[in-house]
Amino acid sequence: MTTVTANNSLAVSLNKPVANRRFGLLISLFISVIIVLLTLPFLNWILIGNDAKVAKSLGVSFSEVGAKTGYPAILFLDFVQKTGAGKLGFPAALLLMLCVASIVVHVLFIARLLINKPNKKGYLGLFSIGKAAYILTILSGLGGIGYCIYANVTVEALKKKTVIGNAFHPSWVVYAVLVIGIAAYVMIKIMEAEERKLYHEHGLLKEIKKNWILFIFLIPCFIYFLINNYLPMSGIYFAFTRFNFRDGLFSSPFVGLDNFEYLVKSDLWKLTRNTLLYNIAFIVLGNSFQIFFAILVSQCGVRWFKRTSQTLLLMPHFVSYVILKVLVYNILEYKMGVINSAIAAAGGERIDFYNTPAWWPFLITFFNLWKGLGYGTVVYLATIMGISDEYYEAAKIDGANIFQQIRFITLPLLKPTFIILLLYAIGGIFKGQFELFWQMVGSNGMLYNVTDILDTYVYRVTISQPLNMGWSTAAGLYQSVFGLIVVMITNAIIKHSNPDYALF
Amino acid sequence: MSKEEKVVFKGGTKIKKGASGITFDIIKYALLTIASIICVVPFILIISGSFSSNEVIMREGYGFLPKEFTTEAYQAIFKYPQEILNAYEMTIYYTGVGTAVGLTVIVLTAYVISRKTFKYRNVVSFLIYFTTIFGGGMVPWYLMYTTILGLKGSTFIIWFPAIMTPFFVILMRTFITGSVPDAIIESAKIDGAGEGKILLRIVLPVLGPGLATVGLFLALGYWNDWYRSSLFSTSKSTYELQFYLYNMINSAKALQEMSESGAGVGAISVPSQTTKLAMAVVTTGPVLLFYPFVQKYFVSGITVGAVKG
Repeated sequence: MTTVTANNSLAVSLNKPVANRRFGLLISLFISVIIVLLTLPFLNWILIGNDAKVAKSLGVSFSEVGAKTGYPAILFLDFVQKTGAGKLGFPAALLLMLCVASIVVHVLFIARLLINKPNKKGYLGLFSIGKAAYILTILSGLGGIGYCIYANVTVEALKKKTVIGNAFHPSWVVYAVLVIGIAAYVMIKIMEAEERKLYHEHGLLKEIKKNWILFIFLIPCFIYFLINNYLPMSGIYFAFTRFNFRDGLFSSPFVGLDNFEYLVKSDLWKLTRNTLLYNIAFIVLGNSFQIFFAILVSQCGVRWFKRTSQTLLLMPHFVSYVILKVLVYNILEYKMGVINSAIAAAGGERIDFYNTPAWWPFLITFFNLWKGLGYGTVVYLATIMGISDEYYEAAKIDGANIFQQIRFITLPLLKPTFIILLLYAIGGIFKGQFELFWQMVGSNGMLYNVTDILDTYVYRVTISQPLNMGWSTAAGLYQSVFGLIVVMITNAIIKHSNPDYALF
Repeated sequence: MSKEEKVVFKGGTKIKKGASGITFDIIKYALLTIASIICVVPFILIISGSFSSNEVIMREGYGFLPKEFTTEAYQAIFKYPQEILNAYEMTIYYTGVGTAVGLTVIVLTAYVISRKTFKYRNVVSFLIYFTTIFGGGMVPWYLMYTTILGLKGSTFIIWFPAIMTPFFVILMRTFITGSVPDAIIESAKIDGAGEGKILLRIVLPVLGPGLATVGLFLALGYWNDWYRSSLFSTSKSTYELQFYLYNMINSAKALQEMSESGAGVGAISVPSQTTKLAMAVVTTGPVLLFYPFVQKYFVSGITVGAVKG
């Protein structure tokens, strides 16, 4: 009964000719297009008056470095780089991010407006994107004004003797964006309030009032992810600076893409190749072995054997990678290692593993499989155990032998688990198994060519060359960005072919 | 299908199953035995090496059985045990505090995002999940704790970064939704119970397996960690056990120091190779001792995580 009435009211409300809403959405569309145009790098946001004095206090001449007297917010970092004013860099980067985010969300909003497909909550989803877009617009407008104030204070402080006055000032564009943004936000807020009444929905404030204790429960988690994950994201900025101790983290000179250029010229290709190839090998071989052994374990009739083998297979998962290092050394060492002792005892030629790069791709892959076999086996075993016996009974009646049962029942039913694991693994394909590589190879430069991955490179540079952390941040950023792109593409493909498997 | 036909088919399959079944039986038991041996042998090598005489090892190499059984390596370690005992103590401290704090935070978070009436649970879940697909990388993370928060060298920084991961939160949420039906929570709310009371009186009492599983995942992570010490520890007094071991096997210097500190009181020679192995045994001992008892929780955790993806 209730669903029927709910459906009815939904249908009624969607078909109700809400003239205001349609008109309002049309205006929003128009405003969003204007805001995007104003934010794109066509119009100057920040004007620099008194340029001779500003140049003097920054210690450069504008004409020499090619700096101009007016910049769009998106391009202001260009000024920072050309004049070498490191202190102006980080806030300029934040402003850039705000503008880019504003443009992106506005474009999303415009796309949604054009497609104009209300879902079961009517236009509420559309309105929240619109609100986000206008909030970002307002923030970037305020950011433009705030940045000018900050820049004035900073440049003034550089040389106390010269009085520059308010050299940096926002242009009319900034004020226009701010005013339009606020007006549009208010408008969409009113439309949303009306829409909410139709669906008995409420906003954030009311939710906090109703469930305040749940919000309190979330505070520790919020603090943790803020400190551990979200705040460090701002450190991406370091990838674009050349760090020096005198200026400090956020004031070192902004150098644009220099660090990336250095990386591309030196090791990036090698590091990427190694990271990807190892991960592909780990994914393919790892999953094959895990599925294979999961099937073997599931087919064991003898209970004690089943349990014992599972216990033993899982054991390597429990020891630390430092212990793995001891193990590997113990087995491969030239003079005393187990393998070489055996070879010597048999009268053969000893193998110098630690000085022969050719061995290491196999060794690293082997020990990765060794450590991960038990875990993956349990994962697949869980799925196999969930398969109903009826399938097998029916197959037996039809005369299927054990191999046919595996081929036509077990393997197809393992597919969903396999795809989910594959997705996770592909999402992390730019992330190397740092601990494995670091403990097995460490700082054995002899082997870097075939064993150095992005993660070990970043770690090594961070530990041993703090001055070059621009490179390591750049390498880390490269890794994150490409990782994200890969995740997005994989997810989109999966969502397209089978939405149930999609990650988000 | 008539009854007769069924019988015929059954007879047919029996013969077939017998033939291919035996081959398969042999293959599967043989392969599983080999894989199990490969998984265990390295541990045997370490243990037997740690009980061997250093000189023989240097001369003949490692083997599967102790060569000239002796406990000299263990004696060398425990002759001056302050440092290793300190590392043990610190690791137990990190594991205890980290696991306790972590479990608390994880349960609180998981409870909130398991509540279907909480409007923003999808937003919160996504914000948590997003950290797994994008991050600033290691350097900004490191600088956040050291330069910005100025925590380098403290003990807080060793346990804090590992109190939770998105995976543990999702795992715990799965345990909660699996063991407490929504209807029970809703009826408790109707009876006037607050969220805190529901969590303490209704959810926690049945969350035993979930707590055990996630707690063990956390504890194992803490016990086996060396990375945070390598980045953040400034003095030996805050070393984690694994990092202590890592340092020791990495530098012949550490061993020399050990023998020199011994030399002051009464010279002993430290058996260099076997001591490393003995240290490995000492650091891993507790894990391997507990392993048989906690394994089932691990398996259940992996299983739950696997089923829910």
